[in-house]
Amino acid sequence: MKKIVSGNEAVVLAALASGVKVVAGYPGTPSSEAIGSLMKMGKLEGTEVEWSTNEKVAVEITGAAAWAGKRSLCTMKMSGLNVAYDSLISIAYSGCKGGMVVYVCDDPGVSAGMCEQDTRGFALMSDMPMLEPASVAETYELTKFAFELSEAIETPVFVRSVTNVAQSHAVVDIEERTLPSPEKAVWEKDINRYAKAGAAMCMAQHRRLIDSLAKASKIIAERGLNKVEPAPEKGGLGIISVGVVNGYLEEGLELAREAGCNVQEVSTLKLKTTVPFPADEVRAILRHCNTVLVLEELEPYLERGVYIEAYKLGVKVKIVGKLDGTLSRIGDYSAVQVAKGICTALGQEIPANLLADSDSAVEKAAARPITCCAGCPHRGTYMAINQALKNAGYKKDEVIVTGDIGCTILGMNPPFNTVWMEISMGASIPSAQGFVYSGVENPVIATIGDSTFFHAGISGLINAIQHGVNLTVVIMDNGWTAMTGMQVNPGTGSEFQQPGCTQVDLVKVVEGLGVENLFVVDPYNLEETTKAFDKALTLPGVKVVVTRRECAIQAARRKIKYATMTVDQEKCNLCKLCINITGCPAIELGEDSINIDQAQCIGCGLCAEVCKRSAIVKEAK
Amino acid sequence: MANNKFDIYIVGLGGQGVLTIGEIIADAAFNKGIPVNFFPTKGMSQRGGFVRAQLRMGRDEPGPSIPAKGADLVISMERSESLKAVRYLKPGADFLLYGLVWAPTAVMLGKAPYPTLAEVWTEIEKAHGKVAYLDPKTLPEYKEKKVRDNIYVLGAVMAETGLKNIFTPEDIIAAVNERWPKGAEENLFAFQAGLKASVYRNMPQNT
Repeated sequence: MKKIVSGNEAVVLAALASGVKVVAGYPGTPSSEAIGSLMKMGKLEGTEVEWSTNEKVAVEITGAAAWAGKRSLCTMKMSGLNVAYDSLISIAYSGCKGGMVVYVCDDPGVSAGMCEQDTRGFALMSDMPMLEPASVAETYELTKFAFELSEAIETPVFVRSVTNVAQSHAVVDIEERTLPSPEKAVWEKDINRYAKAGAAMCMAQHRRLIDSLAKASKIIAERGLNKVEPAPEKGGLGIISVGVVNGYLEEGLELAREAGCNVQEVSTLKLKTTVPFPADEVRAILRHCNTVLVLEELEPYLERGVYIEAYKLGVKVKIVGKLDGTLSRIGDYSAVQVAKGICTALGQEIPANLLADSDSAVEKAAARPITCCAGCPHRGTYMAINQALKNAGYKKDEVIVTGDIGCTILGMNPPFNTVWMEISMGASIPSAQGFVYSGVENPVIATIGDSTFFHAGISGLINAIQHGVNLTVVIMDNGWTAMTGMQVNPGTGSEFQQPGCTQVDLVKVVEGLGVENLFVVDPYNLEETTKAFDKALTLPGVKVVVTRRECAIQAARRKIKYATMTVDQEKCNLCKLCINITGCPAIELGEDSINIDQAQCIGCGLCAEVCKRSAIVKEAK
Repeated sequence: MANNKFDIYIVGLGGQGVLTIGEIIADAAFNKGIPVNFFPTKGMSQRGGFVRAQLRMGRDEPGPSIPAKGADLVISMERSESLKAVRYLKPGADFLLYGLVWAPTAVMLGKAPYPTLAEVWTEIEKAHGKVAYLDPKTLPEYKEKKVRDNIYVLGAVMAETGLKNIFTPEDIIAAVNERWPKGAEENLFAFQAGLKASVYRNMPQNT
């Protein structure tokens, strides 16, 4: 059936059509809608679907399922692959029986505020084929193929997308779901293949892995996935492109033609893989052309391979790309970069409209720092930290507050300016420890959210406890993995989880670790929360403050309104303190008083708690 | 409009239904068998955060991003955000500007600047855009409640821009009704009010 789906949805629909048995992953923009859309389909008889605690857990679950002969899919964003990779490379060495597909999304152009890493480097390192779809429809086709390929070579296969494809929506012809094979799961004990403790077995596995990539190369060539289209005449321009850039080729040629280039005699090679490297097709282009333009986003992995093939062939071909400085390793591409490359390769002057000019219009636009939503419980936590630091006599920016991934990082922005830095999932606590070890004399505070704590924060906390480090850890527990679009995590209430899942009580976990100075407070209660920080800052050792209140967006979706906030027009003197301290988007500046947008306000009451004239009144609902 | 090649760049803020405009046009294209790629950029989308969407019609599996100076139509739902779309406008193309002002906190507190309509208008004209300005004050009420501004804007887009060469108002109405079978009457009202709305082709002096 033809319908409009996103690139992320195309992956899981292809997996369902391929009889997938196990699907696991961890949310991360831009990949979250893959499992997210599966979750919306309700119970899928015969297929296990879950949001795992982290990507490493997810890859281990799906790896073992594939060892047992079943098809499995694992999804994550590029940063998640870093977490999963320790296990993934080991699974790749062992290979698999059932098809195992690892779906990973890169983010060239940074729409989600993380590193612009190019995960093709991981495919190179573990000799795993990586398919790079150019469009939504191709995502569907290549994901189906990835399962077949993985089974044929007995090695996991990557499908690597980028934000612009993963989040695009286009028409795909979707097939019916195929139920997972009814055969019993069978896993044969074979330590030479599935264990690592022995040099001989490891090296034999390494050999098998290298051979499996060569086999993948052959299958991909037989399928004709990588298309060479030589110009009739030899000696002209050849363009090699891969993945999303393939979609810009035709348009880039149009722009180059408008710029005065003669693009009649251009050979093209459109690739769907960088790994395995399509050596035969690249050689065909190198033999046919005197100039070769290589088009790929981010790192020049493909281009380096082209240089090597040119050297091995001994041909004198001019290669244009990133390594000669023509194109950038930064940001996502459009037809503009394609046209720039063609102009440079053909020695044509690049027209002004293709050069990145400073954008005078954008510079005039109002800045919109992202901030906490109306009613966000994190707001109370940042306000309380700021107040407690003031109470303890510290000036602005005298106390380091480390941050972590997710909504909790919003404390870096105005009006709070509380959080100083972020590294990766769970890094807030060990980095705080590092500052303490470095000799920072003032207190150090680490801030982290609940999902991030379960993902990779807990090991850092255990380390700090073991080593008796003086620091304060704030776990902002809103019960959801919020930033990526409200997924469940171990701490989410059982009633919101899939049937059979259990809530893991974060507070009991922290208690169980032996934290003596543990404070559990409601961040909507500014006084109580501030007092907890006041106290924590005076105590030695590891202190943990759990600020606990459900994400306001999720509460509002269930029509919860905690109270009605009203403004006493007589008392409000427009001092703007409430706006300056809370930065709440539900508060607007009126003519004679502030106004509260009742549609946005959930009644957290933080504005009333900071008003010195009692002009904001909280009425219980 | 040979082979219906038409690129639309849409900007606005989270909560305005910016992405919905794109989805409705994409649905209408799907219904007519026009190839379409719809690429919304939500980023860390939240109420009041920057949202943009790129819609490419008439090409088979195009790259998702519209090149600079490539858009046949820009739709902006907020005055300041308009400035982020100017560089994508094809010279001579339509720029539907819905002049809503949504001031960030720093602007509200008088700590940061916010562009005047004249500044925005000048930038669009420098890019050789054809401005159609829709005044948010004209947003009508249906049963004593303001209608959704995105559907109203979509009506104005259909009346005043090149999109009318691809779709009829009925095509859009059908897509709107598919999406919200329940609110059909209100949406039809909002859309038709947008179709009939008068837009400014020269900068209004009193806004």
